[in-house]
Amino acid sequence: MREERGGGGRGRDKDKKDGKGGEAPRRGFFRRRRVCKFCAEKIDYVNYKDVRLLAPFLPERGKIQPRRISGTCALHQRKLQVAIKRARQLALIPYVTD
Amino acid sequence: MSTSRQYELVYIVSPEATDQEVADLHTQIEGIVQRYNGTFDKTENWGRRKLAYDIGKHREGTYVVETITGSGELMKEIDRRLRVLDSVIRHLVVRVDEELRVADRTREARQANSARRRVARGLPAERAPGEGRGDGDNNDDMDGPEAQR
Repeated sequence: MREERGGGGRGRDKDKKDGKGGEAPRRGFFRRRRVCKFCAEKIDYVNYKDVRLLAPFLPERGKIQPRRISGTCALHQRKLQVAIKRARQLALIPYVTD
Repeated sequence: MSTSRQYELVYIVSPEATDQEVADLHTQIEGIVQRYNGTFDKTENWGRRKLAYDIGKHREGTYVVETITGSGELMKEIDRRLRVLDSVIRHLVVRVDEELRVADRTREARQANSARRRVARGLPAERAPGEGRGDGDNNDDMDGPEAQR
């Protein structure tokens, strides 16, 4: 499993999958290895009009979910952020919910 | 080339407007597009939708999406017009050609890469239907709980 690390960026998604059953349930509690949704599903263009695509990244409060929680890669988080902000302007998704 | 760009225009018409008024608005925009030698690529009417938050005193609105190719001046004029109109409660112009080009390029690069690696492994370049993990394209039911934790 360690060898696969050498594969660089490309092998990342496979890597993460392996981590799930793998050797490192860090410090007692088991944390699920997350994969960037956009990489996994090969979504190149984050469409701001697609509410169903954006909705999982907006927790109850309506804030943008940090990528440390959602597991989105940096590139896609950036695109997602822009898409969410556009969708907010169009009242497709809320700025705040309470 | 440099003056021709693709834009996406989304506008929300007040719910009080009749279908006729919405259609009129569309022809009006079409007129501006023609005057500035732009081309109309696509138009899409989403119909009436509930707004995520109130705009003015409205709780819902009619969404219209138009894809337009033209110059920046054209979009500036449309933007100005829509701002003036009371029946349009919100609008947004987004330039999309570059984003779509980037998306195309990454997709092509990925496909070329996968083809190359498959050939290197002695497989046919294209993935046969049903082979591998498959794309969970329409499968978003994993996201809710997954995203929470």
